[in-house]
Amino acid sequence: MSGLFGTLDISGSGIGAAQAWLDTISGNIANMDDTGPTDEAAYGAQAPVLVPDASVGQVGDGVTVAAVVEGDTTGTVEYDPTNPEANAQGEVRVPDIQLGAQMVNMIQAQTDYQANTSALADAKTAYQSALTLGT
Amino acid sequence: MDGIVSVLQFAADGVAQQQQATANNLSNSETPDFTAQDVSFQSSLQQAIDASGGGTASVNVTPDLAAPATDGNNVDTSTQLVDGQEETLQYQTVVEMLNAQFRLISGAAGGSFS
Repeated sequence: MSGLFGTLDISGSGIGAAQAWLDTISGNIANMDDTGPTDEAAYGAQAPVLVPDASVGQVGDGVTVAAVVEGDTTGTVEYDPTNPEANAQGEVRVPDIQLGAQMVNMIQAQTDYQANTSALADAKTAYQSALTLGT
Repeated sequence: MDGIVSVLQFAADGVAQQQQATANNLSNSETPDFTAQDVSFQSSLQQAIDASGGGTASVNVTPDLAAPATDGNNVDTSTQLVDGQEETLQYQTVVEMLNAQFRLISGAAGGSFS
């Protein structure tokens, strides 16, 4: 069990993980209309790698964002001859990011965030009642 | 009287660990291949209370056997949220009962019962 009021830290780690996920989704949506030369890699959709903080036989200690990984940078080639980065054939490389998929992830990340704040509020109420002991 | 206080103390610790497990399960609700944890102490505590000559209770942490989703995670967010609320109320109940015991002790020792 981690420290005084440890359950608050656990929910905090969950909120942090949800926030990291939301951050990558914002970045992905912001960059979905990027264009680049066809001989360069496209922007790859980012996602956090979540790993549980666990010790054997004991209640776990929350979650850690171990890394942020970049997805497929192949992208797709589009015809956009007016783009200054277009090649001789008038083609540019754009990221292969689906807005629908990102929005679904965003809703999941938001629900995850809310669930953790709910657990945080529960733990706070319980700890506050413990502080009334003997008063 | 000592017995009641120690039983309540054990229950408070058990519920606190249950709540910690709930918080941990929720924080890992999107972690691939995570298996939710269950914490139980009630039946063990009941057996210890029922045992003649006293027994020893324990808090048991076990993996949740629910079937995992496609990413290998088996946390059911709605169940965990309900559990969190329930555990908070249980904790408050136990604390209130402990305080009632302390008021009895204080009154019996010549102080105030309230």
